Amino acid sequence: MSATIEPLTTRSDAPTYTRSRVTALGALGEPFQWLLAGSLALGMTMIVGFLLLVLWNGVGALWPKPIHLVTFADGTRIAGEPTRVEEFRVGPERLASLDEATRRRIQVDAGYAWRTLYRTGNFDFYNDDFRWAADFEVAKVEAPVDFYFVERLEWGSFVGRIAVVEVAGERLAIDDPRAVAAHREALRRLGAIRSLEHGAIGHVNARIERERLGLRRVAIRESEASPAYAEAKALAEARIAELRAEYQRLADEVQRLKTEDQRYKVTLVEIGGKDKTLRLSEIVRFYPANGVGWLERIGIYLSRWGEFLADAPREANTEGGVWPAIFGTFAMTLLMVIVVAPFGVVTALYLREYAKQGRMVAIVRISVNNLAGVPSIVYGVFGLGFFAYTFGASIDQLFFPERLPSPTFGTGGLLWSSLTLALLTVPVVIVATEEALAAVPRSMREGSLACGASKWQTIKYIVLPRALPGIMTGLILAMARGAGEVAPLMLVGVVKLAPELPIDGVFPYLHLERSFMHLGFHIYDVGFQSRNSEAGKPMVFVTTLLLIAMIAGMNATAIVIRNRLKRRFAGSQF
Amino acid sequence: MTAVVAFEPTCVHPRLGPGGANVEIRDFSLWYGQKQALFGNTFDVQRGLVTAMIGPSGCGKSTLLRCLNRMNDLIDGVRIEGSMRLDGAEVYGAGVDVIALRKRMGMVFQKPNPFPMSIYENVVYPLRVDGVRDRALLDATAERALKGAALWEEAKDRLKESALGLSGGQQQRLCIARAIAADPDVLLMDEPCSALDPIATSRIEELIDELKGRYTIVIVTHNMQQAARVSDNTAFMYLGRLIEYGETEAMFTNPKLERTQSYITGRFG
Repeated sequence: MSATIEPLTTRSDAPTYTRSRVTALGALGEPFQWLLAGSLALGMTMIVGFLLLVLWNGVGALWPKPIHLVTFADGTRIAGEPTRVEEFRVGPERLASLDEATRRRIQVDAGYAWRTLYRTGNFDFYNDDFRWAADFEVAKVEAPVDFYFVERLEWGSFVGRIAVVEVAGERLAIDDPRAVAAHREALRRLGAIRSLEHGAIGHVNARIERERLGLRRVAIRESEASPAYAEAKALAEARIAELRAEYQRLADEVQRLKTEDQRYKVTLVEIGGKDKTLRLSEIVRFYPANGVGWLERIGIYLSRWGEFLADAPREANTEGGVWPAIFGTFAMTLLMVIVVAPFGVVTALYLREYAKQGRMVAIVRISVNNLAGVPSIVYGVFGLGFFAYTFGASIDQLFFPERLPSPTFGTGGLLWSSLTLALLTVPVVIVATEEALAAVPRSMREGSLACGASKWQTIKYIVLPRALPGIMTGLILAMARGAGEVAPLMLVGVVKLAPELPIDGVFPYLHLERSFMHLGFHIYDVGFQSRNSEAGKPMVFVTTLLLIAMIAGMNATAIVIRNRLKRRFAGSQF
Repeated sequence: MTAVVAFEPTCVHPRLGPGGANVEIRDFSLWYGQKQALFGNTFDVQRGLVTAMIGPSGCGKSTLLRCLNRMNDLIDGVRIEGSMRLDGAEVYGAGVDVIALRKRMGMVFQKPNPFPMSIYENVVYPLRVDGVRDRALLDATAERALKGAALWEEAKDRLKESALGLSGGQQQRLCIARAIAADPDVLLMDEPCSALDPIATSRIEELIDELKGRYTIVIVTHNMQQAARVSDNTAFMYLGRLIEYGETEAMFTNPKLERTQSYITGRFG
C-alpha cells in the first residue's frame, strides 16, 4: 500500500455537498405532530360531545319537573311541565295581531321572541300533549301546590287536580293516607290480574292449543278417517274439556278481581274544568309536582327508572318500559356471538393453518373482506329470503305441519335475526382470528412439533390458547357491530311491540321463532314513528343511553374475560 | 498443514466410534424453491457422541440439522434429494410417520421457546401429547428431565409458575429438559447458546457434557471455542457443502484442508 492518501473526489471542479447546520422545519416532526394531535382532539371532542349530550338528556329525562300554571293575556289558562325554552321568529300574521308595544319590542329583537314548551298532558281532552306559550302572550305564571302530575295506563299523562278518591264507596281526599294505601292495593290487584291473565290463563291456553295441534298432527299423519284419529280426538277432547274448566275457573277469578277493582275510583279535574273518572288501578303514579321535596323527587326518579327497565312498553311505546327490548337485544347479541364464534374461528383456522396458500385462498380472503363492506340491509334481505322463507319454511313443513298456514319458523324471528347478524359479523371474526393466528410466533409451533406433537395438537395446545385474546378482540368488535345494527333486523324479526319474551315458562321455554323487540329499533320507532315525536323525545334519549350503556357493558365484560384469558394463558397449565 | 485439496468433492470421514453410526446422511441436497442450499452432503453422525457443525452464516448447517427431524417440511417449496437414515430407517420416504420420527429426536432452538404454560407443563408436554395421564409418571418424568437439564434445584419450588418468568438461560435449560423428557435417541441443538450470556452458556455447555453418552447430540454453533470445548466430532460446512469432517481435536489442531484452517483461525466467516 502506498503512503499517499487518495482524495475522495477525483475531479477538483466536481460539486461538493455541505450539510446545513440548521434543521429545516419540514424535517422536524412537530407540524405533523400538531396535525395528528389536532385531528385526535377533534375526534375526541365529537365523541365526548355526543356522549355528554346523550347522557345529559337521558339522565334528566325521567326527573320529575314542576308544573306551571300559565295564564295568558286573553284569560285562557294551561297547566303543564315546562320542557323547553327557545327563541323563535314571530310570523308576520301573528305580529300584525299584536299590540303596538309588544310589536315594537319584538322588532327591536330583530323579529325574535322567546317561547316555552309546556307538556300539558290530557291528550284525551285536547288531542294534544304539548303547548307552546310565547313570552309576550303570557300574563302570569304560577306554581300551584295542589296540581298533580298523574301517569296513566292509557291516554298518557294527566295534569290537574285530583278531586276525589272513591275507596269502596267511601269518598276520600287525595292526601288521605288511606287513598294512597288504596292506590297501592289497586296496583297490586292489577298485578295479580295480569299475572293470572298472562301466567295461568296463558298457560292453559297454550295447553289447549297444543292439544288442538297434536290432534291436527294426527289428522295429517293418519287421515281423519283412521281409528287412531278417532281415539286421539276423544282423548284430546276430554283433555280440552278439562282445560276449559280450568280456564273458566281462572277467568272467574279474574272477573272477581276486576269487579273488585271497579269499586276503587278516582276523579281527575283538569285546568279547563273538565273531569274524568277512572279506576284507581289505571293510575301508575301521581305526585303533586310543586309540593314534593328532594327525597320524594329522587324516589319518583328511581321508581321511573325501575319502570323503564323492568316493564313492557305501553301507549305506542312512548310510555312504560323497554324490558322486552333490553331482553331482545341481549338475547339476540348473545345468540349471535354463540353462532359467530365457532363459525369464524373454524373458518379462519382452516384458511390460516390448513389451506394451501394460493390463489384460491387469496380469493376467499378477499371475498371475506368484501363481505364486511356489504350494506347491512342486503344481509337483511338475504336473511329473510334464505333463512326465514326458504330454510324456515322447510322446517315448518317438516316439523310443524299442523300449524300451517300460519308460519312458525317461516317468518322473521329471534333465531333468524341472530343468524343474519352472525353472517354480517363473521368477516370481522375471521379477519381478527387470522391475524391472531398469524401472530403466534413460529418458534412456538416449531417447539411443539419438535416435541412430537401433531399439527392438530399444536393448534389445540399452543396456537389457539395463544391466539385466544386476539380472537376475543374480534368477537368484541363483532358484538359491538351486531348489537348496534338495526336495518337488517327490521326485515328478519324485530317488531314494534312484542311483550312476550322469547323465553317463558311454557315448553320448550326458549322460543327462538318468536319475533322480538330491539333497543335500536325502539329508538327509531319511538322517535320517528309515534303519534307525537315530542312526547317520545325523552324516551329516545333514555333508550339511546341504555343501548350505549348495554353495548359498553357487554364489551367491558368481554374485555375483562379477554384479559383474564391473556393472563391465564400467559402462564399456567393448559 | 499438508495438502491443499480442491474445493469440490472433499469429505474426509473420521473413524467410526464404538457405537457406530446413528444417523447416516448420503448425498443429501436441498432446494428452497429454485435456490439450492445443500449440495450432496454425505457423512455419519456417531452414536452417543457430540457432533458439532460449524461454518459461516448461511452455509446450510442449520438447514441440515432441521432436515434431521424434518422441520423443513413446514417451509413451502422445499425439495430434497439423497437419503438420510436414522438407525437404518429412512427419514424421508413414502409412509414415514413424521410425528413418530420427531418423537425420537429432541430439539433445542436458537432462542429459548418455552410454551406459555407452567414449568411443569412445559416439561411434560411431550407426554401430554402422547396422552399420558398417570400423575406419578408425569411427576417422575418432570423431575428426571429437570434434573437432567440441571434445572431441578432452581425450579422444584416453582413448578406451577409460568415458564416465562424464568431467565433466558433457565428457559433454555427448560427447553432442553422438554427435549429430553420423552427420552429421545438424538438431541438436536440449533445454536442453543447464541441468545445467552457467557455464564448461561457455560452452564449449557456443562450440561451437554453431562448428556453426552446418553444421547447422540448434534449441535450447530457459530462459536469455534464452543465447538472445540463440547464436541467429539466436528463438521465444517461452507456454501452448502460439507468441507471437512473429523475428530474435533484433530480438526482444530491439524485441519486437513486450508479452508478449514482459515475458518477456524478466524481468517474468514
